[in-house]
Amino acid sequence: MSEKVTLAIPDMHCANCVMRLESLEDDLPGVVSITASYRSQKMEIEYDPAGVTIDQIMAAVSRLGYHPERR
Amino acid sequence: MELLVAFVTGLTTGGLSCLAVQGGLLASSLARQVEQDVAGRAARGKRKSQARRDEKTRLAQPILLFLLAKLVAYTILGGLLGALGSVLQLNAVTRAVLLIAIGIFMIGNALRMLNVHPFFRIFAFEPPAFIRRYIRHSAKNDAWTTPLLLGAMTVLIPCGVTQAMMAVALAAGSPLAGAATLFAFTLGTSPVFFAIAYATLSLGARLERYFMRFVAVIVLVLGLVSIENGLNLMGSPVSASRLAQSLFQANRPALAGQVTGPLAPGGPAHRLVLEAHNDGYYPAILYAVAGAPVELAVTTNETYACSRSFVIPSLGVEKILPATGEELIDIPAQPKGTVMRFACSMGMYTGEIIFN
Repeated sequence: MSEKVTLAIPDMHCANCVMRLESLEDDLPGVVSITASYRSQKMEIEYDPAGVTIDQIMAAVSRLGYHPERR
Repeated sequence: MELLVAFVTGLTTGGLSCLAVQGGLLASSLARQVEQDVAGRAARGKRKSQARRDEKTRLAQPILLFLLAKLVAYTILGGLLGALGSVLQLNAVTRAVLLIAIGIFMIGNALRMLNVHPFFRIFAFEPPAFIRRYIRHSAKNDAWTTPLLLGAMTVLIPCGVTQAMMAVALAAGSPLAGAATLFAFTLGTSPVFFAIAYATLSLGARLERYFMRFVAVIVLVLGLVSIENGLNLMGSPVSASRLAQSLFQANRPALAGQVTGPLAPGGPAHRLVLEAHNDGYYPAILYAVAGAPVELAVTTNETYACSRSFVIPSLGVEKILPATGEELIDIPAQPKGTVMRFACSMGMYTGEIIFN
């Protein structure tokens, strides 16, 4: 059963950030889909809690150089 | 001239700006793929020097394919935009409006890049989610055609400067001119793109922000220039160059053009001579007698700049001058105090005729 979470990414600064953040969809097992938006500075993540935790996802976002905040 | 500007824009701001938008993902995924490829081949065993030589070609080859596909794709896009522009049949006024709109768009984009206010994010172009996913998956595809495909797909994620150039291609008004504009621009962006991709550098978020600021300032200036050109092309008296011209005029009236022929109002047409040079119109201010028709002779001598495309907005006159020769324009009698402004079709070079 998948869950959804929205993270605020206040330091997203161009469309490339969107694509970089969305690439986590392929890199993190357990993540079903990611939709990021530069305009709203948010990313919506659908994930399977059995495969990945929200902390792991946030850590992966931080590794890309962003400062995610949980909504 | 315009093509040279497009090329230099590509070479300087365009290359960096495109890298900030397209390079981070595309160049790095390309490079990763090439690295794996090289590592795989080296592991299969070859003499060291031979392997190194192969490595160099193998790194360069996909990047060149990528850039080639990008060049072709943008040239086609330029042709299509130019064709669209020719269908719309842009006259001086609509071109002026377009130039001002491009200017506002560029300034909005620059302020967005400088993060002045969240409002300016509306100027950002975000490709739809399915296109983003498609590009990402293609970047991971190991097929030989990947670089070609990726290069062509950069048309889907144009950067701010590229978007401005696309608008210029639209304003160019013919498929050939539009294609040439984007060809020259994209060719200009290629060296920077190649250098960075070849060094397999991917822009980190911090470095990218630094580039963005630099690009933002340049885009801001280009935006202001675009609005200025639009105002000139409309014949507006409030553009920066017109204001500068009026100061110039107040201080140095001796530079004004000479009137030849009869000076009496109501008499036959008198003749004014205006020289269109590669760097503007000389003299920039001409004096004519009010109440008498004027024959304006615009002369050229190996003139290839946009000054060849001569516009008098208030009369609706638009002429392409011969590279060397003379074009006669009949101006009907004007009331005293009329200031008739003229410009090149890009609004870059300006001047005026004062009737008194």
